[in-house]
This record gives sequence, C-alpha cells and structure tokens, in this order.
Amino acid sequence: MRRIAVISGFLGILLAVVPARADDIEVRDIALYSVEEGLALDADFAFDLTPRLADVLANGVPLYFRVEFELTRWRWYWLDDRAASSSIHLRLSYHALSRQYRLSTGALQQSFPTLEEALNVLKRVRNWLVVDRTARLTNADYEAAVRMRLDTTMLPMPFQLSALTRRDLHLESPWKRFIVRAPAVPKR
Amino acid sequence: MKWLVIIGAVVAAVGLFLLANASADTALLAQHYPLLLGINAALAALLAALVVTQILMLTRRLRARVFGARLTLRLLARFAALAVVPGLIVYAVSVQFLTRSIESWFDVKVDAALEGGINLGQQVIERMTLDLQRKANAMALELAERPSAQLATQLERLRGQLDVDEAVVVTGSGRLVASAAQDVTRLVPELPAGHALRQARAKRSYTAVDAVVGGPLALRVVVPLDVSPEVRFLQVRQSVPPSFARSAEAVEAAYRDYRELAISRDGLKRIYIVTLTFALLMALFAAVAVAATQSGLLAEPLANLAQATQAVARGDFSRRAPVTSRDELGVLTESFNSMTRQLEEARRGAESNRVAIEAAKGRLENILANMSAGVLVFDRDLGLSISNHGAAAILGTELEAFAALMRAHFAEQGDQSWQLELQLRGTGKTLHARGAHLPQATGGGSVVVFDDITRLIQAQRATAWAEVARRLAHEIKNPLTPIQLSAERLQMKLAERLSREDADTLRRSTETIVNQVAALKAMVDDFRDYARLPAPEPAPLDLNALVCQVLALYENSTVLIAKHLAESLPLAWADGAQIRQVIHNLVQNAQDALEHRVESGASPVIEVRTELLGDRIRLAVSDNGGGFPEELMARIFEPYVTTKPRGTGLGLAIVKKIVDEHHGAVTIENQPSCGASVSVLLPLAKAA
Repeated sequence: MRRIAVISGFLGILLAVVPARADDIEVRDIALYSVEEGLALDADFAFDLTPRLADVLANGVPLYFRVEFELTRWRWYWLDDRAASSSIHLRLSYHALSRQYRLSTGALQQSFPTLEEALNVLKRVRNWLVVDRTARLTNADYEAAVRMRLDTTMLPMPFQLSALTRRDLHLESPWKRFIVRAPAVPKR
Repeated sequence: MKWLVIIGAVVAAVGLFLLANASADTALLAQHYPLLLGINAALAALLAALVVTQILMLTRRLRARVFGARLTLRLLARFAALAVVPGLIVYAVSVQFLTRSIESWFDVKVDAALEGGINLGQQVIERMTLDLQRKANAMALELAERPSAQLATQLERLRGQLDVDEAVVVTGSGRLVASAAQDVTRLVPELPAGHALRQARAKRSYTAVDAVVGGPLALRVVVPLDVSPEVRFLQVRQSVPPSFARSAEAVEAAYRDYRELAISRDGLKRIYIVTLTFALLMALFAAVAVAATQSGLLAEPLANLAQATQAVARGDFSRRAPVTSRDELGVLTESFNSMTRQLEEARRGAESNRVAIEAAKGRLENILANMSAGVLVFDRDLGLSISNHGAAAILGTELEAFAALMRAHFAEQGDQSWQLELQLRGTGKTLHARGAHLPQATGGGSVVVFDDITRLIQAQRATAWAEVARRLAHEIKNPLTPIQLSAERLQMKLAERLSREDADTLRRSTETIVNQVAALKAMVDDFRDYARLPAPEPAPLDLNALVCQVLALYENSTVLIAKHLAESLPLAWADGAQIRQVIHNLVQNAQDALEHRVESGASPVIEVRTELLGDRIRLAVSDNGGGFPEELMARIFEPYVTTKPRGTGLGLAIVKKIVDEHHGAVTIENQPSCGASVSVLLPLAKAA
C-alpha cells in the first residue's frame, strides 16, 4: 500500500512538471485553394506576445514560430492516412544596433522598425504551398489541421528549463481542423 | 540485485554525463534537453525505487528477525551516512558557489559598458544617417527639375562629389530611372521598397539601416526628388565602414549574449542546480544501493554462520557454513566448521559408548530379570531403586513390607554383609536373604538377594520325617511280633492253670496286648507308607470317575456324602492310586471330624466338589464339623499334628506330600458358618 502511494506521488510530481497547454494563439481565417503547384494555404493568426516573451525578444533572443499543416483522411479500418504535412519556421529577432525587428523564413528576411509591424507579417501566412502537386489524393473527404506555436525547443537552454514549468514562455494554438471536400489538385 | 545496482549506477552515470554536457550548452543535446531531463528523472526514480525496494526487503527481514538483518541495517546506515553527508556538503557548497558565481557575472559596469557600446554604435549610425540624409537632400536639390536625359551623368557626378556609395532615381511606382554606383560590378542596384517610397512621400524622407545577416551594414535614405511631371524619388545608400561595422557587430553580439544570459540567469541557475541535484540524487541512491548490497554481502557469512550454529544447537552437525571470503570472517567460518566436525566425531564416540553401555546394561538387566532369586537394590539413602522380576514373584504384595524390613536390617548391621532367614507373615514363605553393600565408587547403596526356600525346607522336613518313620517302623515293629507271640503264649500256657477269674483277666489283658500291638503295627505301617511313598507316576486321569469309585465305598456310612461334580471336567495329570489315597484320607478326616456330631444327633454332611479353576482342577472336600483350630492352621500339614483323639496325624501330611509331588496345591480354610474345607488343585493333563 505504501509503495503504491510513493509511486503515485512520484507520478503526480512528473505530471505537475508537464505544463498546462497554453492556447494563446487563435487561428482566425483559413483558406485552402488550388494553385498551379498544388494546394496553397492562407491563414491568419491572432495573438499577443506575453510580456515575458517580449522581454526575451527585446534582449536579443530569437523566437522561433512554427506553423504546421496536416492533411489526413479518416479510415475506419486502419490508422488515418496522412496525405500531406508540412511546416514552416518563422524566426523573429531583434537587432539592437539598428533597432530593427527581423523576421526570416528560410532565406527570406525582412526587417521592421517596430514589433507590431513584424508581428503583423508573422501573423499572416500567405500563399503557403502545403500540398505538392505530386501528392496523391483520392476523391474523398480530408481533414485539414493547422496550428501555430512557439517552438520552445529552439530557445536557449536556460529558457527551455523555465519553459517546462512556466506558462508565460508558451504560445500555442490548438489544432484548427476543417473538412476539405475532395481537394482538387491541378493535374497536368 | 547486485547487477541491478551496477547497471542502474552505470546508466545513471551516462544519463548524468549527457545532462551535464547538455547543461554545458552543446547544440545537439540542448535541443533534447527536456527529454534528457525526463530520462534522468526516470533514472533517478528507478534508482530510488531500487533503494526503496532494498530497504523494504531489509525491513521485512528485520520484522522476520532474520539473523544478520540488524547488522546489515547498521552497516547500511553507516555506509549511507558516509555517502550522504559528504554528498550533501559538496552539494550545498556547489549550489551556493554556483549561484554566487553566476550572480557575479552580471556586473553593473559591464552592463553599462555594453549598453554604452550599443548606444555609441546607434549614435554613430544615426550621425551617419543624418549625414547621408543631408547629402541626399543636397543631391535632390541639384537634381530637381533636371530632365531625365541628363539625370544619369548628373547623378554620377554628384555621387562622386558627395562620396556616396550608390545613388538611384526611381519613379513613384518603383521603376528605375537612373543609377550610379561606386561599385561598378553591381549591375542591379538595390531598389527601395514600396513602403519606403510611401513613407518618403508622406514624411519627405525615409531612412533605414540595412542589416542583412551576413551582409555589410548599409544606410539607406530615400527622399522625394520632384513631383512634376511625375513623382520621382532619390535613394542613396552608403555602406558603414567595415571596421566600424565589425566592431559594432561584435559589440552587438556580445551585448545580445550578455542580455540573453542576464535575463535567463534564473533559468541558468536552475539548470545547474537541477543537474547538480540529479547528480546528488543519483550518487546518493547509487551509494545507498551499493551500501545495501555491500552490507548484505558483509552480513551474509554471519547469517550463514548463525544458521549453522542453530543447526548445531539442534544437534545437526552435517551443516557446514560455506567459506565465501579469505578474510577473518572466512577464517572464523573455517574454524567453526572444523569445530563442528570435531563435535560430530566426539558425539559419534559418545554415542557408540552409550550403545555399548546400554547393551551391557540390558544384558545385566536381562539376567537379573530372568533370575529366580529376588534382587532388591537400595540406593545410598536406602530408597528402593531396583527390584527384579524374581523379587516381585516371591514377595507379591509384601514387597514394601519386606523392603522396610531389609532397610531396618541394613541400618542395624551397618557396613557388614549379612545373611538372614525369615518367614513372610502373609504367605508364610520362608526366605533366605543375603545383604551386601555396593562399593562407594559405583555410587554406594546396598543389595539384597533372597530365595524362596519354603519348598527346600519342606523337602528337608519331609525327608527327615521319612527317615524317622522308617527308623521308627523298623525299631518298633521288630519287638512287636515277639510281644504279641509272648502274650498269646502266656494265655495259652497259663489259662488252664488259673482260676476262672484270673483266666478271664489274663484273657482280657492278652487281648488288649494283642489289639494294641496290632494297632501299633498298623501305625507303624502307616509310617512306613508315608516314608516309602513312591514317586507318583502321573497319567491322564478322570477325576470324577475316581471320586465316584471311592465314594462308593462309603455308601453305607452313617454320614451323608453329597457329590457336586463338574460336568465335562478335563483330564487331570495325576497318579490314580495316590489320588485315591488323597480322597480317602480327606473323606475319612471329614468323617472323623463329624463323629461327635453323629453322636449329638445333628445332621452331618460331607460335600465333595470338583470344578475347573483356571488351568487347574479343584477337588474340594468340606464338612460341617468343628473346623480346624486356628493355632494349628500353620502346621496342619506336618505329621503328628492332629485334632483327633486317636489317629496318627499323618492323613493330611500324606495328602500334602502327594499333592506337592504332583505340583499341585493344598489349601485349608474354615468355612464361615461351621466346618472346614480342604481344596486340592491338580494340574491339567494337557498342561503337564
């Protein structure tokens, strides 16, 4: 009996370490449409940086945001078929010398004199090619899911430890799911 | 358990090493820091579980009072204390030192210096931007209202004049009109972005710092050139001098790192503390686990020894404590084993001795039990310690009384040995007893050996009487015939010569003499018969038939004889002629006893009874006469003991003699009402 109490107490401690999910990012408008190369996504997110995150950013620590997309087809007889998935990394940083906020996605880099401008761009994802033309899609209903979150694993290590216990280092949206009826991928 | 501890410790060490490396900011491990943290926590938990399990096991053994558990606990406590206390001290010092030293990194001066450096850089860039803006305004003034055809040359001239890296004129929609650059290798100049043009139009000026990662630091100023005929903008770009840019970037990088550290110092401290804590926990758990295993190993030989000791205490010498080490414990175990071996040998010797002694004792006891003589052994305090079977057979219920008598005799005689002949009160047996003292060396005490010599004495007496009777018969009978003849001759010779009266007297006297001589002769014959009684020649005998035959002779007697004969009486083992005599004698005795009754006119009855009594046949002759006088009862079977006015007193003596020679028994008792009863017990034919 005592051993069970010890183990359950220990499990309780472990669970307490796992932070409560912070659903601070709201997924606003999503549009999935066909383009020449495949399916593209437009999405608007709404959130504010927590004061702590703003502070961290202002002190020169880059923040990595990650937008993820998944397209799955439900199968009753097996695990869901993951037709496509992609993600983009957005790096937001502050350059003290030039007092500019920089937003970079891959090779593309933009500088903004204010945080608001940078965030405004960050919150708007436009013309994101999520499904390649080569993807094989059947003529069925798919479920698409989108979310954006702050990638805490890319934070410097001291923040990672803090992130384990502190809520204000988390920014995350729940998976926004919507049904896509027979997505038409342009065939050539 | 041992291997579990070792494996646990090794895995924990690896996990700890990785965690420590991750804490030291290795890029690869840093990404998986939370995972590592979890793994280490799980490892610590496993080790803790291991320790808890070990302690629980130890507690259970303590409760069960397993030997060695207490020692294990004490050793474990010592070892654990040895590990825990220094560990805690080092941990406390480390944590203290760490937090202090991390705090000490952050100095107000350094902070201010870096801040100042950044400010300096910013101001320099501002100054350069202002300078560039002034130049741009000057150029714009010059270039305003110039036709597009002259614009390129003018631009180039002004650029050279004002020492600007690059000058571009674009339309309001961003189309290139003219450009001039110091670096001629660049074919396509950087065009201003749309928002820059919008801002320049709105605010008459747009300034920006191009700080592309990896690229040179450049300043950019956009000013509106003129409004008619169409909106045009002038953009000038000037690179920051590379040395300055490098220094500024260095300061910027240092400042960024510094700020990052500064705002994350709590996290940093936490990382180190967490790492240290895990290190401490794992070290402690591993140490305690190892301590538990080690103390168990240390206590194990002792427990083995204890088990072996208990086995020896139970008498099991076959257990050997295993020798597990070469140290003092091993030596101790070895000597314990050899001690056990010696004990076993000694016990085996003692056992064989005991068996031999017991065999001897059993032999002695056997002899003692099968002796016909009675043996009583008294201890030093004259308590009866041993009495053999013979003693019980001879003494029967009188054992205690006899023992008391012997005790008294021992007390009386002191240390001397003695012999004694005595008669038992109850059964009247005659015993011959010899008393002796046992030597002090064997514990002292005394022993009495005695024999039942009743029969011996009886036989001696019978022999003596036979001899007397033979002599008497011989000596008496010889003169009788001359006496009788002489008396008859006297009568014959003198009868005619005497007077009639005298002749009568003579005749009566002579008759008396002759009669008395005849009586004497008969008596002497009786004696002779008694003396010459031949040895019986036993054969199967129907006692009932014999009784009927004998009693037929008494049918005409004055006394009524009643027969009570048992039916289907088995055959007796006896000499018919002698038993006939016995019956005669008994019946005659009874008749004699009843004589005066006949005279007094009472109704005399003789009862003859036969019956089976156990493994013997009983013949009882009883009467309702006067019975035997009590004073004669003890000697009634001796010759010449009689109650009758006449008679030789040999009747019962002969009965006794005959019955004795048949290995039978005679008992006499006076009946409660009146009269006496004589019982003869004869053996059965089959038993003989």
